Amino acid sequence: MKKLLTAFVLITTLGTAPVMAANDTLMPVDTMNYIGYGAIMLMLVLFVVTMLVLLRTFKVLTRLLMGAEAKNAPAEVEAEVVPAKPKNSLVNKLLSLRPMAEEESLLTEHDFDGIKELNNPTPAWFMGLFYTTIVFAVGYLLVYHVFGIGQLQDQEYQTEMTIANKEKEAFLAKSANRVDENTVTLSKDGAVLQSGATVFKTHCAACHGEKGQGVVGPNLTDEYWLHGGKINDVFKTIKYGVQAKGMPNWEKQLTPKQIADVASYIKSIYGTKPAGAKEPQGDIYKDDAAAKTASI
Amino acid sequence: MQPEKFYYDNKIVRNFGIATIVWGIIGMTVGLLVAMQLFKPGMNMGNQYTTFGRIRPLHTNAVIFAFVGNAIFMGVYYSLQRLLKARMFSDALSKIHFWGWQLIIVSAVITLPLGFTTSHEYAELEWPIDIAITLIWVVFGINMFGTIIKRRERHLYVAIWFYIATFVTIAVLHIVNSFELPISGLKSYYLYAGVQDALVQWWYGHNAVAFFLTTPYLGMMYYFLPKMANRPVYSYKLSILHFWALIFIYIWAGPHHLLYTTLPSWAQSLGIVFSIMLIAPSWGGMINGLLTLRGAWDKVRDDVVLKFMVVGLTAYGMATFEGPMLSLKQVNAIGHFTDWIVAHVHVGALGWNGFLTFAILYWLIPRIYRTQLYSLKLASFHFWIGTLGILFYAVPMYWAGFTQGLMLKEFTPEGILKYPTFLETTLRIIPMHVMRAVGGGLYLVGVIVMAYNLARTMAIGKLVAQEPAEAMPLEKVFVAHDEGDNFWHRVLERKPIQLMVLSLLVILIGSIIELIPTITISSNVPTIASVKPYTPLELQGRDIYIREGCVNCHSQTVRPFRSETERYGEYSKAGEFVYDHPFLWGSKRTGPDLQREGGKYSNAWHYNHMLDPRLMSPGSIMPNYDWLINQKLDTTTTASKINAMRTLGVPYAAGYDKLANTELDKQAKGIADNLAKDKIKVQSDREIVALIAYLQRLGTDIKVTKTANN
Repeated sequence: MKKLLTAFVLITTLGTAPVMAANDTLMPVDTMNYIGYGAIMLMLVLFVVTMLVLLRTFKVLTRLLMGAEAKNAPAEVEAEVVPAKPKNSLVNKLLSLRPMAEEESLLTEHDFDGIKELNNPTPAWFMGLFYTTIVFAVGYLLVYHVFGIGQLQDQEYQTEMTIANKEKEAFLAKSANRVDENTVTLSKDGAVLQSGATVFKTHCAACHGEKGQGVVGPNLTDEYWLHGGKINDVFKTIKYGVQAKGMPNWEKQLTPKQIADVASYIKSIYGTKPAGAKEPQGDIYKDDAAAKTASI
Repeated sequence: MQPEKFYYDNKIVRNFGIATIVWGIIGMTVGLLVAMQLFKPGMNMGNQYTTFGRIRPLHTNAVIFAFVGNAIFMGVYYSLQRLLKARMFSDALSKIHFWGWQLIIVSAVITLPLGFTTSHEYAELEWPIDIAITLIWVVFGINMFGTIIKRRERHLYVAIWFYIATFVTIAVLHIVNSFELPISGLKSYYLYAGVQDALVQWWYGHNAVAFFLTTPYLGMMYYFLPKMANRPVYSYKLSILHFWALIFIYIWAGPHHLLYTTLPSWAQSLGIVFSIMLIAPSWGGMINGLLTLRGAWDKVRDDVVLKFMVVGLTAYGMATFEGPMLSLKQVNAIGHFTDWIVAHVHVGALGWNGFLTFAILYWLIPRIYRTQLYSLKLASFHFWIGTLGILFYAVPMYWAGFTQGLMLKEFTPEGILKYPTFLETTLRIIPMHVMRAVGGGLYLVGVIVMAYNLARTMAIGKLVAQEPAEAMPLEKVFVAHDEGDNFWHRVLERKPIQLMVLSLLVILIGSIIELIPTITISSNVPTIASVKPYTPLELQGRDIYIREGCVNCHSQTVRPFRSETERYGEYSKAGEFVYDHPFLWGSKRTGPDLQREGGKYSNAWHYNHMLDPRLMSPGSIMPNYDWLINQKLDTTTTASKINAMRTLGVPYAAGYDKLANTELDKQAKGIADNLAKDKIKVQSDREIVALIAYLQRLGTDIKVTKTANN
């Protein structure tokens, strides 16, 4: 049993690994998917095996319990003659089931195309379940709509946002992550540019091209800028977007650091003159850094 | 008194049986096709008529109304005659019913791929077909009540109570959910808009499950199970209790499909609590079925028909427990819009409806053909492969649902979404979608094997079209035999019309209490001044959105969760939807929500994305919509659409219908010019332009943008 449990936990963990895995995991998505795949297969097989084992158990149990009855069906008739009250099993009591032998006395008068109905009472546990759900329902309405203890969706949202903002503030206060358009600086650090390049590839390349040559969005490698070419301006354009031109805002999708990284990366590809570059758009802007790179 | 001789009509039963098998195979094959499109969009065969958005409704309609529908009529026509000791009221009506229903299905098979849809889930068929459904349903009703009237059995058995409740409730649901204003032969707008339309639709949608997939099947279970097991029904009292409780409570539960939307909170809470109260009444049916097998469990071991019944009842029990749990808003917050729901409904559909249907077919066909089943081995094979199919279908889908539901809600400590791109979560569950298709495929193989087995059975035997029977006619006046005959419910069982009226009243209570206030009291839908009607081009674009069935994969309602407002933008407000005839909130997010799509991307982005989604979102499983670029927008309908909307209360100025196309051209030219700037050459009269106009409008009426504030 313990082994089974361990196996179950293991499989569950493996299966949920893709969900729980942190972004910085070394495992590629594909591999995680295949692990998930395998886990599902295993689970299914395990499920089927369990079902078969259960079925077998039922079979054996039935044979054990009904052995006597099944073999000597007439014995039942004999038993009825005996006035002694038939014993009722614990399971039957729990389920509010009357012994099979009493069945005759429970038959109702009617017969529908050969179908008879028994006059069994509704099981007590069933009524218990029904009443419990009714009490729950009344309680629920009272809690949410009369006493006002439970929060309805708008309040719930306020609470969620307040907590989230507090947590976010607390986290950002401790980390170096806190950059905005005023404090951002141009970086030439290899790690920063590497991280910027990754962000660029996943989020920007669809519109600005793999090499920043411009597709739907403008060319990012020339010296023309629509919304300013200073690192602060680039940061701001990425963060808030330019709705009129179809540039989405990335504030909600990228961390401030990621925005800073990709802004530095964009500045770093200046002058690379990729193939198929889009024609210049906007105004010429040259800053020291860019000028320096250009002169090299 | 002499017993009367008469004949049961088995031919009509056989006909409905064959229709069940044929449509079942067709509907499930379409299901397999749409399932495959969810990991390989190219499976749409590059063709608009076989693309997900259009044929997913074909799958649902085919399996619900064609497969299950025909199975219901097969079961009812067989059991009703025998329970009432009477032939069906009219052979002509039976024939009209049969052929009318098949014609309706054929019309669905033609119109849905062509893009004629109302967009209401499980009620996609357009208005002329809605009328046909109403007529055929009435024919069925007359035929059923006619038989009841001329019955030779005084009391109505529990199965018949369920049939009666099915008949009246489906009639009410179908009629109220079909209030449409036609604007052409195959296009109409719903009378209600936004929140109200959503409530009506889900009141209908949920109770279609209740009164089309559940009550008639419970009725059939009550007839066929005791017959198959040769055991008395476990408890008469339980059947009374769970019947009335079920039909009374079920009707209230619809709003649980709309939790965290802009539906008033009181209605949402009613939906939740009535769903919870539904557990016991639903289980009543399962318990009464399983306990009927008491003392016959040894038969279950050998009898494949009973095996199907037991798994079917168990699946019913699981689905009706899971449903209420999913209705709890805390669970719903994760499960809604994900594959979890798809798994849930398929446990019910494949397990309960499918398996019961198979059991009945295996039991009934040999009987009306006076022969034995061709092969018990094949039937047993069907049982096991079907059960495996359900498992292979459901387990991966639950998995996919949890995975995606949790991923979409995850944040990083920096306070941004861990998976900001919706697509990341989609890509993660593609393996599960592959597995699901495998499961569905296994299930379908089982059905095909059954078809073969039954065809061979029919070939061996000979149909007893007219089965002789005899019974005593009813005496004019009923004399109670014993105390039991005076029991209030026994009295009711002698009075079919009163029983029908009473069940009608019972289902109307919940309907009225939920629908009327939402539709009439304005405070339930607060208006927003900045929300304006759609421009003619946007309106046309919206109809293309409806035609293509975008709503099958994209919702349009942002729930008030941090994970959604961060991902999509401000959460939805009721007043935003007042001109939405019909509402397009959707029920599944295979792709992201689109309620705040307007202005998020450029026109060029949308153009490229519709041409081939993978250009803008590598790995996307959305199909190409390249035909929108070639097809010319039909502007001849603009005026009638504007007029229809005005009739429905959308404030277009008088005479605007005459200016509409001029305005439409102007807006279209603007978009085409804008696209030209990005080197995209497209004529302004193409459908794509209208669709872009609509997408760019979505959710912008109250959209607050940071740049605008800066």
